[in-house]
Amino acid sequence: MDLLIQQIFNGFTLGSIYCLVALGLTLIYGIMQVPNFAHGHLYMVGGYVTFFMMTLYGINYWLSAIIAGVVLAVLGILLERIVFNPMRNSPSTNKFIAAVGAMMFLEAAARVLWGSDFRSIPAIYDNVVMIGGVRLTEQRLIIIAGAVILMVALYVFLKHTLIGSTIEAMAQNRDGASLVGIDVNRVAMLTFAVASILASAAASLSGPIFLVYPAMGSLIIMKVFVIIVIGGMGSIPGAVLGSFILGMTESLGATYISSDYKDVIAFAILVLILSLRPSGLFAKGGH
Amino acid sequence: MKSTNQSSKVKYIAYLGIFALAIAFPYISPNRYYLTVVTLGFIYAIAVYGLNLIVGYLGQLSLAQAGFFGMGAYTSGLLSLKLGLSFWLSLPIAAAATTLLALLVGLISFRTRGHYFVILTLCIGVIIHLVIEKWDSLTGGVRGLIGIPIPTSIGPIAFKSLESQYYLVLAFLILTIFVMSRIASSLVGRTFKSIRNSEELAATLGINVMKSKLLAFGIAAFFTGIAGALFSSYIRFLGPEIASTHLTFEFLLFLLIGGQATIAGPLVGTLLASAITESLQFMQEYRMVVFGALLILIVKFFPGGLVGATKTLKAKLEKRVNQGKKSGTNLPSKGESHAAKNRGFN
Amino acid sequence: MKRKSIWLVLSLIVLLVVSGCGNKSTPTSSDPGASGDVKTVNIGYTGPLSGGGALFGKDVTEGLDLAVDEINAKGLMVNGEKYRINLIKLDDQYMPDKAATNARRLRTEFETPVIFVPHSGGAFALQQFNETDEFLIMAYTSEGKVAKTGNKLTVQMTTPYSLYPEVYSKKVMDKFGKKLALIPTSSQYGKDWSEAMIPAWEKLGGTIVANSPVDYNKEVDFNTYVSKALAANPDVLFVGGPSQPTAMVIKQARQLGFKGGFILMDQAKVEQMEGVIPLTDLEGAVCLTPVYLYDSPGAKPFVERFKAKYNGKVPAWESSKNYDNMMLLAKGIEKAGNVTDAAKILEGMRAVTPFNDPTITAHIPGIAEGGGSMTPGTGIMIENGQYGKQFSIPNPADTTKK
Repeated sequence: MDLLIQQIFNGFTLGSIYCLVALGLTLIYGIMQVPNFAHGHLYMVGGYVTFFMMTLYGINYWLSAIIAGVVLAVLGILLERIVFNPMRNSPSTNKFIAAVGAMMFLEAAARVLWGSDFRSIPAIYDNVVMIGGVRLTEQRLIIIAGAVILMVALYVFLKHTLIGSTIEAMAQNRDGASLVGIDVNRVAMLTFAVASILASAAASLSGPIFLVYPAMGSLIIMKVFVIIVIGGMGSIPGAVLGSFILGMTESLGATYISSDYKDVIAFAILVLILSLRPSGLFAKGGH
Repeated sequence: MKSTNQSSKVKYIAYLGIFALAIAFPYISPNRYYLTVVTLGFIYAIAVYGLNLIVGYLGQLSLAQAGFFGMGAYTSGLLSLKLGLSFWLSLPIAAAATTLLALLVGLISFRTRGHYFVILTLCIGVIIHLVIEKWDSLTGGVRGLIGIPIPTSIGPIAFKSLESQYYLVLAFLILTIFVMSRIASSLVGRTFKSIRNSEELAATLGINVMKSKLLAFGIAAFFTGIAGALFSSYIRFLGPEIASTHLTFEFLLFLLIGGQATIAGPLVGTLLASAITESLQFMQEYRMVVFGALLILIVKFFPGGLVGATKTLKAKLEKRVNQGKKSGTNLPSKGESHAAKNRGFN
Repeated sequence: MKRKSIWLVLSLIVLLVVSGCGNKSTPTSSDPGASGDVKTVNIGYTGPLSGGGALFGKDVTEGLDLAVDEINAKGLMVNGEKYRINLIKLDDQYMPDKAATNARRLRTEFETPVIFVPHSGGAFALQQFNETDEFLIMAYTSEGKVAKTGNKLTVQMTTPYSLYPEVYSKKVMDKFGKKLALIPTSSQYGKDWSEAMIPAWEKLGGTIVANSPVDYNKEVDFNTYVSKALAANPDVLFVGGPSQPTAMVIKQARQLGFKGGFILMDQAKVEQMEGVIPLTDLEGAVCLTPVYLYDSPGAKPFVERFKAKYNGKVPAWESSKNYDNMMLLAKGIEKAGNVTDAAKILEGMRAVTPFNDPTITAHIPGIAEGGGSMTPGTGIMIENGQYGKQFSIPNPADTTKK
């Protein structure tokens, strides 16, 4: 019984991280119809920035995370300007390929600049807490709490601020939004900035227990794509739900079915869902 | 009409020249290393031709291709290693098995469209890779398959030497190019292209879109399976990494450098990218930095790749020459450049 | 007319391919320009230099480079002529096909009689043609099969892992108990180790309570696996993969309340884990002796020389074994009096064993039939927050002791 609770908790931790990355990805897709293949790599860069801020400059963990967020916002905007904005009228296949190019570029650049070593962000919240017979470290609680806070913040930002509502408006009706005078370019940049900050936050939160290395981006991006496809690309509630479904599937699947085939299970679920519902579980309207 | 005659003459001379060059290559360059690089390049090129059919002609980005390559390689490798089948039996079985798998995959994935299709095929590719990696008892798992036999001799022709293997691969490559160019210029090829341009329109024209897509997918997988089988008997060692998405992206890169929806593109791109990779060997770390950026630039500025760009350039030159000749009459030259543009997709 | 362009492009490509292939401009080599009376012998390396395996490849090549530097400082005397070694390193990203291509290139373009390859996939791929192409494979892998293919030109550079399980098991079983859970990395190496581990543990009367391999290179969070293994209440955990992830697994096991001992697969190096987690977390771990503690006259001086060259980096066995074997190769070449014939060089290497040069870290008693290693294994246990007494494990392949 303890094992079950423990694994549900592990699934939650994992789901929280997936969720932050998936939210950004689904936001970008909703606004720009771009499958940002490089999104996992933004997550990776966020991890590195946090790591170097802490180890090289001795900056405090939270401040490092904020600096990483700012750096990533700039990087996200650059990515939008340099890669995706010029391609906004290209066929979807070309956009996808450009995104793959950006992904290759970022990973290779990380290897050249920082090497392939595994790094770990120094853990400061390493104490063990006992909750209902389950042992947790503080950092894991921080991950879950951090993810929830950021989700709420995103919700407030999108629904209750003027600038955020432009994103919402554009996601719902691109042409209508530009008709009422919303600057499409500005919204695109804003979206990329917000999405990158979320990815960076995911990396800063998980860094102390997950390790930071160049391949971490390409490992998470596959899973996050599975999530947003399950949830319906562009759907925010879908991304949240999909993240926790996948997190749970992974931790419970590895425990009770097979640790060898755990990843196969996750991908097989996706194939199954798409063969039954070709536009995902929570697709917005028809195609 | 004179110009058509001339062009077909040039065409045949060109074909003959390239063919002669390919035949003579092992003698021009007895260097075993060049031969290895080119042979491997040819094998990959066969798979890239498959990808070209789907991405270039059908306009669907399938990212399961490395999975199919792995399927072909492992089927052939396992049959010859565990059942002792001759290469000449295991190769067609591998190609057939890969086609069958692809049809199954196609049945599921062609129900989706656009980005869903891309991600779904990507996931299927990953599943194939994972199954190869995890199914220890059959595939040897991460340990791989060791000592796959070389193709058995047909009568007096043995395939022991590097040169003979080169010719074997070359023969399959020529077959692939031949079939692909026939498809491209046939009614079926035009059907694919009309689907690429607009599925709705194609459907209203009475084309069975699903059937056509499946056909293209199957043919592509057939050749990818052949490439995999050739790979297994050439390298004689298989590890699950040959089915990883990494290889799919590499195929995609080859195709885009060379030029999608062209007949020369896949070969040109594969050989060129392999040559660049080899000559920049000692700066591997930077290679993907360059290739990543290159990929973005290509899709933005040269979606037709190298071959496409050359054609566009030529069309422009032709236009200028024509303008010079028929000073003032703009119409015919315009028509011609338009025709050249259309040909760009042949 | 349109085909003309294809032709144009194709001829351009062929030109590029040929010029590209012919590009001999120095791959990473340590060649400062050979002086007049010193001749050069090229030695090849194909292994991961980029991508996920780059870290491992770096450890290997650093050891090789250090050896080459020291050999060249003295000069290699072959038949009264002075030679220097030029190590040519090519990248194969751990891929067997790329390793094969590299080997062909090394052999034809640089005429290397010997090629170092630090992974079993590459070694197997090379074994398909190294006898016909006449080059010696120096394989840094503990996969025993490499030395059992009947290949006549292979040298395996490390102790096979099969020596460790029984001795290691006994040490921890005596101290902690009979229940073992396995959480090894799911690489080939991890699987091989587990396969040797399970029967060894059971033979000693122990039981296996859980076995959940996990890919240390790819898994995001190990907690799921560790929780699962700990749910079976093991006394001992068998873990191991790349050092840093291994350290994370151990840390998480401790955080989840595990109090027993560890058996560390030899891929994980304690000297690299010390920086990530405190030694107290490793209490009760049996593992490979760190090179800097290894009981041999050459080990400590080697570590010092290595640290001096690489900014204080502490070498692990990847570096030291490759260093040792490069030294053995150099001696073998001198003995053989030949810099081109792979078979003669191997004979020379056999002739200079037992190799006990004071510079090397671990004594090399000989090269077994098929190229297998005869070097004994080593181990150490961490007790009371510090390293205990190290122990040696005799290698049955060592026929020189009879």
